[in-house]
Formats: sequence, structure tokens, C-alpha cells
Amino acid sequence: MDVTLLAGGVIVVVVIILVALYFTYYNRIRTFGNQIDESWAQIDVQLKKRYDLVPNLVETVKGYAKHEREIFEKVTEARSRIVTGTPQERIEASNQLTSALKTLFAVAENYPNLKANENFRLLQEQLEGIENKIAYSRQYYNTTVLNFNNLITTIPGMWFAGGRGKREFLNIPEGERQPVKVQF
Amino acid sequence: MAKRSFYQEMVRNRRDSLLLAVVVSIVLFGLIYSMAYIFDPEALIFVIPFSLILIFVYTWGSYQYGDRVVLSSTGARPADGREYQYLRDTVEGLAIAAGVPAPKIYVIDSDEMNAFATGKDPEHASIAVTTGLMRSLNRQELEGVVAHEMSHVRNKDVQFMTYVAVLVGLIAIISHVILRSMFWGVPRSRKSRDRGGGGFEVIILVVGLILAIIAPIVTKLVQFAVSRRREFLADASGAELTRYPEGLASALEKIGRLNKGKMDVSEAVSHLFFADPNKTALDSLYSTHPPIEDRVKRLREM
Repeated sequence: MDVTLLAGGVIVVVVIILVALYFTYYNRIRTFGNQIDESWAQIDVQLKKRYDLVPNLVETVKGYAKHEREIFEKVTEARSRIVTGTPQERIEASNQLTSALKTLFAVAENYPNLKANENFRLLQEQLEGIENKIAYSRQYYNTTVLNFNNLITTIPGMWFAGGRGKREFLNIPEGERQPVKVQF
Repeated sequence: MAKRSFYQEMVRNRRDSLLLAVVVSIVLFGLIYSMAYIFDPEALIFVIPFSLILIFVYTWGSYQYGDRVVLSSTGARPADGREYQYLRDTVEGLAIAAGVPAPKIYVIDSDEMNAFATGKDPEHASIAVTTGLMRSLNRQELEGVVAHEMSHVRNKDVQFMTYVAVLVGLIAIISHVILRSMFWGVPRSRKSRDRGGGGFEVIILVVGLILAIIAPIVTKLVQFAVSRRREFLADASGAELTRYPEGLASALEKIGRLNKGKMDVSEAVSHLFFADPNKTALDSLYSTHPPIEDRVKRLREM
């Protein structure tokens, strides 16, 4: 057995290992990237649900508190801004809707008849559930971003990242770290 | 680090499930083979293919329908209706946080505080909580308990633990169900005796008693198969999901203080539960659950 055969064998083995590594990491990076997109879709589902509930809520409250026009305008305006933009922009718009809704519920405090309304209470429960899910889906989004960033910034993943940059976390403004609770 | 151990757990649970199926198959085959050999060696040629089919159906059926056996043996019912909206929201929210599909949600009517998860994989999982748990815990505590169960789902602990309960413990589960139905079913059996047909009850009674003798051996086997390590791990990753270990810690304290440990469930499924549903004198030796104080201590140290 001569030396060239041995050297050839070694080269073949090394190439095979490199190709296998390339495939593995290419697929992992793709999978992790897709996971981020999928987790954004989760947030989107919840934002859409809330978007659909808001007009209903406004109508119900209007029946009891006609002259609180300013708040209705604020809520409607915040709702209309939530439709387009990058994830971070949409999350910021969603935060504004959250705080507008908080004001709405604070106002509802002054109307005992409204608070006793069955429809209003149902809407309030549903919104509370959605707020919680938004918080959890953001958390999951950030977890998937962390996994992706870890993969493409550590060895050996970074060698196969092919110039892909780190993805952005969804930042939560200070004072909103806790899931928002609708006040009663 | 937590990420890494979660994948390791998944791989380990899949491997353990497979190993369990192989071991149980071999033992069953050995039993049937030696019985046939002792009583009628001539019949072996029929017994072997028949027992192979039987074992295959048993292991496959336990895997596919194990969760239904567990759910119905604990008397769980689907959590429909508005009063459980809050529970559904909590479970769905934590499923999102764990990145698994939302499990089916069940409730068990009991004053005891407890919960369990079951299912063959995260796509077909179920989570059940007692009405006592919903009544006595606040939001953070309930989230803590549900998050613990959600980590069991994600780690595929439920796959292995359900498989152990049904594949190894089926005899104990059946015996428990028969004994319980006899206990509650007295008026009905008297009625049928009046009509002259008590034979069926007698057969059930005898079968129930024979199974009741075998059941403790079977449950001991179940307890050997499951380890306490899973509970600590689910506590830790549950706390990671809610980002609030104190919720789970305080839920555990409440449960340790107020639960009487007298839930009407089979010993073969008790390892699936969040807290030990049947407290006995031998618990410190054989318990499938680590002591509550240890769990609380570890959570507070996070």
C-alpha cells in the first residue's frame, strides 16, 4: 500500500466530513430561521384576534358611556395602526393599543351597569387571555431568536452562516415586563 | 444549558419508550411460551404466531390509546364551558411559550389539588387539572403548575410515563377500576340480583380480587421504571417558561400543606401526577415523587 493511496483516502474522508457538516449546519440554520418566522406567526394570530375584538368592545362600552369620545378615538386610532410594518413596529403599535385598552377599562370602572354587562365581561375575559398569549408568544419569539443567534455566532455554526446576520429581539418597553392585567 | 438538556431528555425518553416495549414484549413472550410449553408442547406451533400478534397489538395499542386509558381511569372530563375559559387561556398561553401545539384540556372533579399530562407525543397531548387546583391556586401558581406539565409534554416525558403506566400497569389500572365500580355500584347489583342474574357480578368480583393481588407487584415495577429526576427537571424548565419560579414554589407549598393525599386513582398512574395523589407510609422508600420541600428549596435557589 503506497503513500499516495493513503493520502488520497485521508483527503476523501476529510471532504466527506466537511460536506456532511455543511449539510447539517445549512439545514439547522434554515430550520432555526423558519422557527423564528413561525413564532412571529403565533404573535400575529393573537394580534389579529385582538384586532377583531376591539370594535365589538368599543360598541359595547359606547352603549353605556357615550360621552367618553376621546378614549374611543384613541383606541380606534391605535387599532388602525397595527396592521402593517416590521415586527418591532407592529409590536410597538400593539403596545399602544394595550395601553389605550387599559384606559378604556379604567373608565369602565365608573359605570356599574357596564361592569355588570355580560357581554362586556366576556370581552374583558377574552382580552385578558389574549394579552397573556401575546406576552407568551413574544417570549417564545425571543427564545427562537436566541437559538438562531447562538447557532450562527458560535463555532462551528458561524463558518456556515453564509453572511446571515443576527436577528433582532422584540424589545419590551420598561414597565411592561409583566403580562398586562385588565383592571377591574 | 437548559436547551441542551431538553433535547437530551427527548432523546432519552424516546429511547426508554422503545426499550420498554422490547423488554415487555420479551417478558410476555417468555411467559406465554413457557406456559404453553408446560401445559401442551404440541400447541406451540399455534401459540407462537398467536402470541406474537397479541403482543404486537398490546404494545401498539398501549402506545396509541394509552392516554385515553389514563384519562378515563382518572375520571377526567373535557374542560368545556365558560367557567374553564381561564384554564384554557392559561394552558394555551404556556403551550405557545413552550413552542408545542395546544394540548387538549381536561378537569377532574376532586377537592385535592393535582394535575397531570399524558399523550403519545406533543401533537397528541392532554393536560388534566383537578377542580380543587383551580379553586385554590392564584394565577401565578396555576401557571406554575401548568408550565411544569407543559415541560413534561415538551420533553416527551409524558410519552414514556404514559407508556409505562399502561404497558406495565394495565392490570393494576383495570383492578382499580373494577374495585371502584364495585364500591360505587352496590345498588345496581342488588337490582340485577332481584331479577335473578347475579352471575356476572360474581365473575367480575373474582377477577377483581385476583387482579388486586397482582396489582401491587405491577405497580412496584412501574415505580422502578420512572425516576424522580424528571420531576426536578420539569420544575426547572417550567419555571423557565413562566420566568417566575416563585409561582410554582408557592403552589407546591399550598399542595404540601392542604392536600390529604387521598385521590381515587390507581397506583399505576400516580407517577403521572404533579404531586403524589396517594400518600402512604412507604412513600419515602418507594415514592415516584421527590419530597415537596426539596422541590420548593430548589426552586427558591434559582
